[in-house]
Amino acid sequence: MTRRTYLIKRVIQAIFSLWIIATILFFLFRMGLPDPTAALITEGLNAEQRAAVRAQFGLEDPLWRQYVLFLTNAVQGEFGTSFSYRAPVSEIVWERLGNTMILMLAAIVLAYGIGVPLGAWLSWRRGSRTDTVGIFVGLMFRSAPMFWTGMIAILVFGVGLSIFPTSGMRTLPYDADGFLDKIFTLDFLWHAILPVLIVALYYLGSPLLIMRNTMLEVYGEDFIEMARAKGLQERDILYKHAARNALLPVVTQLAVTIGLAAGGQVVVEVVFSWPGLGREILNAVRTSDFPLAQASFLIMAAFVITLNLLVDILYTTLDPRVSFR
Amino acid sequence: MTRKYMLAGTSMLALVGVSAPAIAQERVAPVEIFTTTESYDPIRYEGAFIIAEAWRELGLDVSVRPMEFSTLLDRFYSEQDFDATILGWSGRVDRLDPQFFLGTLDSRQAELGANNPGGYDNPDYDALYDAQGAEFDIEARRDLVHEMQDVYMGDVPVVVLFHRDEVVAYNNTQFTNMNAMAGEGLYSEWVPMEAEPVGDRTTLRIGGPQEPDNINPLASTSVWGWKWMRMYYDRLVRLSPDVEPVPWAAERVDPVDDVTIEVTLREGMTFHDGEPLTAEDIAFTFNYYMDSEYSYFNSYLAPIESVEVTGDRTVRFNLSEPSAPFATITLSQIPILPAHIWSEIDNPQDLTPEQIPTVGSGPFAFERYDRGEFMSLTTNRDHFHADEISVDGVEFQIFADAEGVFTALQTGEIDMTAWRMEPGQIPLAEGNDDLTVVSVPDFGYFHMTYNLRREPFDDRAVRRALTMAMDRERMVNVLLDGRGEVGTTVVAPVNAYWHNPFVERFEYDMDAARAELEEAGYSWDSEGHLQR
Amino acid sequence: MTLPPILRAAMGPLRLMMQDRLAVIGMCVLGVIVAMALFAPVLSPHDPRHINEIEDGSVLARGADAWELRESLGPLALNDAAQRGDQSIIVGRSGTVWTRADTGDWTRIDVATEADLNAVDLNADGRAVVAGTQGTILLGTGADWQLVPAPEADLRGVKWLDTERALIVGANEEIWLLDAAAGTFSEIDSPVGRGFPLNAVALDADGTAMIVGERGLAIRYDPETGAAELERIGSSRDLNHIHIAPDGAALVVGERGTLLRRDSADGDWVTDPAPDTRALRAGWIGDDGRAVAAGRNGIIMEWDGAAWQIVPTESERHLRALLMVGDDWLALGSDRFVTRLSPPSREHWFGTDHLGRDLFSQNVHGSQIALLVGFLGATLVVLIGTNVGLIAGYYRGRTETILMRTVDVMYGIPFEPFALILVLLFQPSLTIVILAVSLLTWRTVARLIRSQVLSLRERPFVKAARVAGASDLRIMYLHIFPNVLPLVFLELAIIVGVSIIAEATLSFLGLGPPQSISWGGILHDARLSGAWRTAWWWNLPPGILIMTTVLSVFFISRSLEVVANPRLRARQ
Repeated sequence: MTRRTYLIKRVIQAIFSLWIIATILFFLFRMGLPDPTAALITEGLNAEQRAAVRAQFGLEDPLWRQYVLFLTNAVQGEFGTSFSYRAPVSEIVWERLGNTMILMLAAIVLAYGIGVPLGAWLSWRRGSRTDTVGIFVGLMFRSAPMFWTGMIAILVFGVGLSIFPTSGMRTLPYDADGFLDKIFTLDFLWHAILPVLIVALYYLGSPLLIMRNTMLEVYGEDFIEMARAKGLQERDILYKHAARNALLPVVTQLAVTIGLAAGGQVVVEVVFSWPGLGREILNAVRTSDFPLAQASFLIMAAFVITLNLLVDILYTTLDPRVSFR
Repeated sequence: MTRKYMLAGTSMLALVGVSAPAIAQERVAPVEIFTTTESYDPIRYEGAFIIAEAWRELGLDVSVRPMEFSTLLDRFYSEQDFDATILGWSGRVDRLDPQFFLGTLDSRQAELGANNPGGYDNPDYDALYDAQGAEFDIEARRDLVHEMQDVYMGDVPVVVLFHRDEVVAYNNTQFTNMNAMAGEGLYSEWVPMEAEPVGDRTTLRIGGPQEPDNINPLASTSVWGWKWMRMYYDRLVRLSPDVEPVPWAAERVDPVDDVTIEVTLREGMTFHDGEPLTAEDIAFTFNYYMDSEYSYFNSYLAPIESVEVTGDRTVRFNLSEPSAPFATITLSQIPILPAHIWSEIDNPQDLTPEQIPTVGSGPFAFERYDRGEFMSLTTNRDHFHADEISVDGVEFQIFADAEGVFTALQTGEIDMTAWRMEPGQIPLAEGNDDLTVVSVPDFGYFHMTYNLRREPFDDRAVRRALTMAMDRERMVNVLLDGRGEVGTTVVAPVNAYWHNPFVERFEYDMDAARAELEEAGYSWDSEGHLQR
Repeated sequence: MTLPPILRAAMGPLRLMMQDRLAVIGMCVLGVIVAMALFAPVLSPHDPRHINEIEDGSVLARGADAWELRESLGPLALNDAAQRGDQSIIVGRSGTVWTRADTGDWTRIDVATEADLNAVDLNADGRAVVAGTQGTILLGTGADWQLVPAPEADLRGVKWLDTERALIVGANEEIWLLDAAAGTFSEIDSPVGRGFPLNAVALDADGTAMIVGERGLAIRYDPETGAAELERIGSSRDLNHIHIAPDGAALVVGERGTLLRRDSADGDWVTDPAPDTRALRAGWIGDDGRAVAAGRNGIIMEWDGAAWQIVPTESERHLRALLMVGDDWLALGSDRFVTRLSPPSREHWFGTDHLGRDLFSQNVHGSQIALLVGFLGATLVVLIGTNVGLIAGYYRGRTETILMRTVDVMYGIPFEPFALILVLLFQPSLTIVILAVSLLTWRTVARLIRSQVLSLRERPFVKAARVAGASDLRIMYLHIFPNVLPLVFLELAIIVGVSIIAEATLSFLGLGPPQSISWGGILHDARLSGAWRTAWWWNLPPGILIMTTVLSVFFISRSLEVVANPRLRARQ
């Protein structure tokens, strides 16, 4: 199989996966969720008026027609109007996705920026007390649920010491003319520190341990023994030879993590009132906002699938040993 | 011989007498209580379990099913597929008139999707309901309203569990003269108009976990949309903090006769874009609403036959029938839209957020709305009421939940809460010198509605007994920390004029509950299960 | 034999694990938590769901700037008190009577009744009259008490009109005039006659008596004419108590912070705005303008001359009576109240939550759900994952394509949001939580096992078995499976940790099974109640427990990793 046919095959596969997921979602939501207009009763709308609203949202059409419409629109990136916001869904989803991604990417970069060198260093100091403590701390933050560490952080730094804001993305009043304008400010940074830190600490353990373990594996390889025999300094061996060879699994893990990042960490968004996609999806399902729930989930899935695809492509490029199976 | 026979006969009779109920009676079928999830409302959730416990003591097989709110509404209203459900009605200003709450027991509103899912059907009640709607003498109407409460109470189709106080708080180092309003709390249109800054900041910052569904006056169907919009849209009449109608954009409201009302506008009013506000705008607005597919205001607009401009500043409303709440409710709920903007729009429901006009004539002018984050308004210095307003603007920050709101209140990020605090937060707020806690009575209510179409709730005696088995006093003490009161009728005691205090009450009394059941022919089997 | 290879394969990892100190610690900790889950009912001193309410003969005394709790008078609620001269008396539930001795200490008096005593009054001769449930009327001085025969009635208020006559009111609109000398009483017709409860009675400055009751009832009884007439004092609320000072200042208190005040005998009744809306049960007013009102949930308010002010009491007790002896001001209670948010104590080792439920018991019970979901979920995951991996890797071809494409599709689904949606769609229950936790997780296991099997199936021993005519099933489960077992164990351990966190996350978001107790759920309650920022005893233990459990599982998995990957072993 050539590289090109492999790539084409993988892309088709990805699209197929997305279609399956979209279909499952569509029917799961229609079957499982209650009538979205039920909530209008408490606002004083009677049955007749609710039927009008249902018709307006196309809910009176037969299911198959809704499904076809949904698919054709989704292909064009058109996801309809949100029931609860009465606004185009794509607009809401992209904005929320941006908020989620900025939080998650910052945290992941931080986690890998610290985790990778730290893991390499620990492998060098293997068996020492530093190693044990390092592993312990890394695993500890990996074991503590983020909503809990987040709550404690808010208590200590937000309420107790009042050095960081406890919720949201920025201080009021604040005029931003676009997404970039919104995030490139000190104020945003100040708001982002706590949540980013909490997510980063949680993610820290995985690059740390993967790096450490692969380094240990690499140490066993022949070329390291050779380098050592040549009388090279241990530090040079560590950074120049071993680390470079140990990066591949870390990069793989990184790509997978970024892919999952689109799903966000719902609990962190809830605890820090971060207006992200995870929280939106929770609300959308709770209020039976089909268009919004479908679109949020589908875009998340598309993200995950694309990044998985990229990882595979990356892998074939980085490691020729991987066959195009 | 005869004697022996007689003995046998009597013992046979005795046997039959004793065992007949045991043979003929069947266990009462298990019942389910539907309630909200714990995260949606811990009070109603825990309340259901407290009730279930007492019902089990009565020998009923009870289970509790917490449900997501939208599912719960669906099962209750749209499908009417429930045994007993705990839900609530919020007390909005326009529901101070008893019409709405009394209507929830009207048998003609018992069809699927309507307001009487329990299916209470009492011709006497329905007749009284019609009579009070047509009665214009307010005292005569009150007597009818009182009688209705008396008529339905004995049947207990619905139990008003309790009225929960709306407890909100504000930061007293930033603002003063914050007066809460019944049914609205602090987040009313009046607080921004009356608040006086005492700190450095002159914009009032409100924090809440809810945001408008949208700010399209022809599409919004949520309280949160309208609470925000009424600050920048004027009305002909506004309801004062004491819930008295006061002329607002209208200078005068004069009834010409029973079905004709003439409204004279204030002089010199303008919209935020500088265009003058004229009688044309008023007529346009009402006609526009009546012609549109937007049904939210339909019940208010129903009595209007036509609206005509009779002068530069005068508009005449012709009603199809006399309507007592017209001047107070209808005129105070419909926002005044600028004709020169909206007349260009054919399908107002389809507007995207950027296309929605935000020009009003109110005391505040729309500034911006960043969905999920915040909204802001600036004070309209050209407004006739502007001299009374001390703040320079209003900002509303949107949070994920009540916790985020409270933290922000504590840290001074916001000045007041738009939504009630959780019981656990209240003592913390009270202990904070910077915060003033305000408690507002609620004339809405939490209720448990029985499905009268189903066994065993079709039996009046069962409903009465089960109601007596609810320790609502304890619920108020334990769940609401005492901040609320046990409910009686659907018209709350704080709504003193319409509330009838002299109705039958169902105090917590397990013995009375058992007696009620026994009298209706129920008994208990050897394992204590209720049977009939 | 069938067992030995599997057993041998399982023993190896165990021996290796014993050599790793962290893993041993992990196993010990996990052992403790498993024991905790197994013996939860025995270990927890309280029912974790029980709303803890206690009754108490509480006494609060006015201190410098707050009402302070004094030593309580027994376990029974105190309902009313009276004082005249140097004599003081308190009555309470289940026949409780206390009098103040010369020393200032309270002594319990035995009055030979089990009825709940609701009201008491003292006359100029120092004679007490007490009214209670079951038609109980007691007359007494010192230790000498006599029961006045009366029919069944819930009597709620009593007041001496003079030294011989007392007015008694009850829950069924009873108004009885007691002749103490004769030990008899006569019934007085109420002007309402609808059986509305009357709660209290007081003697006005002009010698008439004022009776208050539910639905804002106020009745004036004139002993001169013997007539009872309705009076309007401007409330339709339930009125619980009335107190009138000798010169005629009067205070009526009732439900929802109802405060009705009259400055003097000929003044008008004014409704005062209350600083708190909770029900008031007792009021006291002096002719000098001082006034106090006490009520539910430890509310005490005092009149500062211009407005009512809340005075801190730091108590949740339901106060029922006030006793003012000179400068010694006492508030008495309390019927069953909730011991909310109490910090750790000998009774409640981890304190209590907002409904007074025992948190230690909750944490102990929480381990059950965590471990159940953790282990059951992980087992399910590994069972599916391993089998899919084995079959896909062994058979290859179309079977593999179908299975692995399914896995690919599952890889496209973000885990957390999907789990949330699943639980939201099907309503929370234990089954759905376990399903939500495991439905997507097996994809990783399947992939890992498959790649191992792919290389194993080409090994000589597999080929040999095939040549020997072994069936596919036999080869898969007896020859290949033992070789992937270390990897299976490793995945099992990791997924146990992941499942426990996933369950905690779902519960924290309020999506756990209703009425179940889990660590995430405890934190959910803490956050929902708003008390999490102060009640550290509520916040810390569940988080620490989740962390330790998962951490110990991770420690174990780390040593398993060494087993699964022999190259690591060589270097460590």
